[in-house]
Amino acid sequence: MELMVHDQEYMSSGHVGCPGCGAAIAMRFLLKALGDKIIIILPACCWSVIAGPYPQSTLHVPVIHSAFETGGAVASGVKAALDMKGDKETTVVTWAGDGGTFDIGFQALSGAVERNEDFIYVCYDNEAYMNTGIQRSSSTPYGAWTTTTPGDEWKRLRKKNIVEALVAHRIPYAATANIAFPEDLVRKAKKAQSITGSKFLHIYASCPTGWRIASELSIKIARMAVQTNIFPLYEVEDGVKYTINYRPKEYPVSEYFKLQGRFQHLTEEDLEHIQKMVDEDWALLLRKAGEHPS
Amino acid sequence: MGEKAEIIIADHLLIPRSSQSTESNKTGSWRFLRPRYDEKTAPCSAACPAGEDIAMIEMLTTQGLFKEAWDTILKENPFPAICGRVCFHPCERRCNRGEFDEAIAIHAIERFLADTAARNEFKSSLEKQPERKEKIAVIGAGPSGLAAAYFLAILGYACDVFESMPEAGGVLRWGIPEYRLPVSVLRSEIVRIEDMGVRIYTGTSVSRDFLSNARGEYDAVFMGCGHSRSRKLAIPGEGLEGIEEGIVFLDRIRRGETDAVKGTVAVIGGGNTAVDVARSVVRLGGKALIVYRRRRQDMPAFEDEISMALEEGVEIRELLAPVRIDRAGDYFTLTVQAMRVAGEETDGRAAIEPEVDKADEIVIQKIFKAIGEEAAEEWYNPAERGKQRLTLGNSVLVHRDDGIVVAYGGDLTNDTKSVVHAVASGKEAAMALDVFFRKGFHAIQQELAAYMVGNGPSLSMETYMKGRRSERNHHVVAYDEINIDYFNLAARITQPRLLIDERKKTFGEIDLKISANLAIREAERCFNCGLCNQCDNCYLFCPDLAVCRDDSLQGRHINYDYCKGCGLCVVECPRNAMVLEEEGQ
Ligand SMILES: Cc1ncc(C[n+]2csc(CCOP(=O)(O)OP(=O)(O)O)c2C)c(N)n1
Ligand code: SF4
Ligand code: SF4
Ligand SMILES: [Mg+2]
Repeated sequence: MELMVHDQEYMSSGHVGCPGCGAAIAMRFLLKALGDKIIIILPACCWSVIAGPYPQSTLHVPVIHSAFETGGAVASGVKAALDMKGDKETTVVTWAGDGGTFDIGFQALSGAVERNEDFIYVCYDNEAYMNTGIQRSSSTPYGAWTTTTPGDEWKRLRKKNIVEALVAHRIPYAATANIAFPEDLVRKAKKAQSITGSKFLHIYASCPTGWRIASELSIKIARMAVQTNIFPLYEVEDGVKYTINYRPKEYPVSEYFKLQGRFQHLTEEDLEHIQKMVDEDWALLLRKAGEHPS
Repeated sequence: MGEKAEIIIADHLLIPRSSQSTESNKTGSWRFLRPRYDEKTAPCSAACPAGEDIAMIEMLTTQGLFKEAWDTILKENPFPAICGRVCFHPCERRCNRGEFDEAIAIHAIERFLADTAARNEFKSSLEKQPERKEKIAVIGAGPSGLAAAYFLAILGYACDVFESMPEAGGVLRWGIPEYRLPVSVLRSEIVRIEDMGVRIYTGTSVSRDFLSNARGEYDAVFMGCGHSRSRKLAIPGEGLEGIEEGIVFLDRIRRGETDAVKGTVAVIGGGNTAVDVARSVVRLGGKALIVYRRRRQDMPAFEDEISMALEEGVEIRELLAPVRIDRAGDYFTLTVQAMRVAGEETDGRAAIEPEVDKADEIVIQKIFKAIGEEAAEEWYNPAERGKQRLTLGNSVLVHRDDGIVVAYGGDLTNDTKSVVHAVASGKEAAMALDVFFRKGFHAIQQELAAYMVGNGPSLSMETYMKGRRSERNHHVVAYDEINIDYFNLAARITQPRLLIDERKKTFGEIDLKISANLAIREAERCFNCGLCNQCDNCYLFCPDLAVCRDDSLQGRHINYDYCKGCGLCVVECPRNAMVLEEEGQ
């Protein structure tokens, strides 16, 4: 697979991400796409740790560690400061987890994009509060075990559809991406960088530790999320123009669930129910994109 | 309010700033599994009797490196242009891609590369070993003898090849019909062998005492005389005038001596000779009827040949055993006994027995016998006695009391009588003789085992000569070791062929050339089982930036200072060119 990006790396070895960390891969691809003329706002999340303990930093670009709930607000401030300095070159990027995006950071994010601040907000989604010990978030999918949805109390609520929430703000660009599809991810990051205003990237990033999966399967599972329609790859321009970027093989969702420890308790019936929800969501997306089922 | 806002710029920003890299954290210490590059063996190459490095050939083809791909074939097989045409390609039956959609058309790509080499007059870049003092006589310039001479020449030996016929090639020249193998193709392959210093003495028969007198002149002899005498039917009437041997008929055609064939002709037998005869009959204007004792699926002839024969109008009458032949004027009556299936032989073919009271008569104008061939002279067969005797996968070696070694190969020793098996014999014998001269007879068997492709019996000359292929793991890559997520369904190319109507009229080559485009597209379907094709997945997906590109042949290495052993690279390698092992093993 050849990536149409510089061979240049903007990240160092020796970071403390878990073996097989999908979030580390996501960051690596994003940096390869955006280059080093960027500033990263990093609200509390696993990546706050991966980036390195003071005085280390694994990233070759400036990073501002910020409070958990402030990804949108700090980015707005940084952008304003760059404007005052006359810096038109630097791209402002918020890099936050799903907890920091779907939940606690949502108001700051909503405020920033409502003002159409010129920045890229990236949510790397590992579907729980991983850094603090696998607590469920509103991104945790239906059916998942977490430490706060343990045993028979597994989560029986849907995952929040964050992209649609952002699309509702009518921002210039919102897209999903996945670490198993680097070309697509890189293309979308570059596209976001070329657009003025608020851009939102929702990147699927597997978590071996929190999902109870073998580290070597991070990418395989990420790919399966797309192939089963659980995590479709699509983009939305100006809140209205939907494009589905990849037509998946449409494997049954069980292919995805059976690979992961966090879903082991699910019964055939549960899986059927989930399949229905996934089919429903996919049908809805097809409708929005004006496409037909295959 | 109303006043101009004053911007206060602090002298020092009172926030801590990190200035060091994380590279001082040697996260490799977390690792308990260790990934490593580990190229393995593709099943096709193990199934190829000549042990061709098919995965590599396909890979080079996709890169447009046709010369390099052709050279790669030549390391293991002197006859790409011949095998690309006439080989029954057992490789394709074992192709992993066959489980995914359809096997790679390996033979079509081989033929394409050979055609390309011919068109561009490529000179092979084979490296020869330094000259050796020993000299070897090769009896028979058929595929096994020529292959033996070729590989012996590569290993530095002087070879004299003796051929009784006026031209070299054996079955390739006098047996296989022109529509499968044009004579010009054969000749150019033979010229390449002669260019390596091999001397071929045509029109030179060798008699029985050659072996006894060889000592002094030669240090070893390779016997590749083939099977050229038809086996007898052993039924009444078989000696009647007008009943011809199939191989004699084929030989006459290849000398340009045949006339038209009229009426219906019976061809008795089920092997390749029978099919070749039947198809030649069609081309000469006759109607051919193959009469075979067992069922069609039991015929030893190659499946593709049988189905093409049927397309051309050859009829197969199965489960009929000839019992006698009578002549009535211009016609023959072939009396046949109906047979029925009664179980299975050890080789999987049907066991048969006569069906009581069911005989039939077939009236035809001519009969060809083609129930198989045997050695034309008894002494061609492997000698039973000697100081030492060794039966290998495709050859038999006899260490005579007088000290010379006689190696027997080709049809004389092989169960499957095919060109590529003959090549395998020649190669095996060449390697065995080399081991004999260097280390003695006792060392042969064990030594050769190390040069097997996968689990053998195919051998690799490249490995023997310590080429890059010798680093390959013998593990044969299975289908479920391929990461098929990286491949999309794609149909196998369809071989362009002469129209059936044209085929019936001429001996012109049936299979037509394919374009470079088509060949590349087909080669791109190949998984390259076990071989790194530089796809870069391992590099790309490493979360720890521990896969580093470099200038080595592998193109990359793993930095164990930082590799945490997550194993992603190994799983995401589409073609199993890596391995994950327990640390400290
Ligand atoms: C206001 C506040 N509440 C709680 C925390 C503790 N905290 C730090 S990271 C984190 C979880 C982050 O989850 P997520 O955003 O999904 O990122 P992940 O760790 O999963 O990558 C929490 C709860 C905090 N830093 N600040
Ligand atoms: S896919 Fe390629 S390497 Fe693998 S078995 Fe088939 S031809 Fe050989
Ligand atoms: S992933 Fe690609 S580059 Fe890496 S070893 Fe496998 S084939 Fe080679
Ligand atoms: Mg999270």
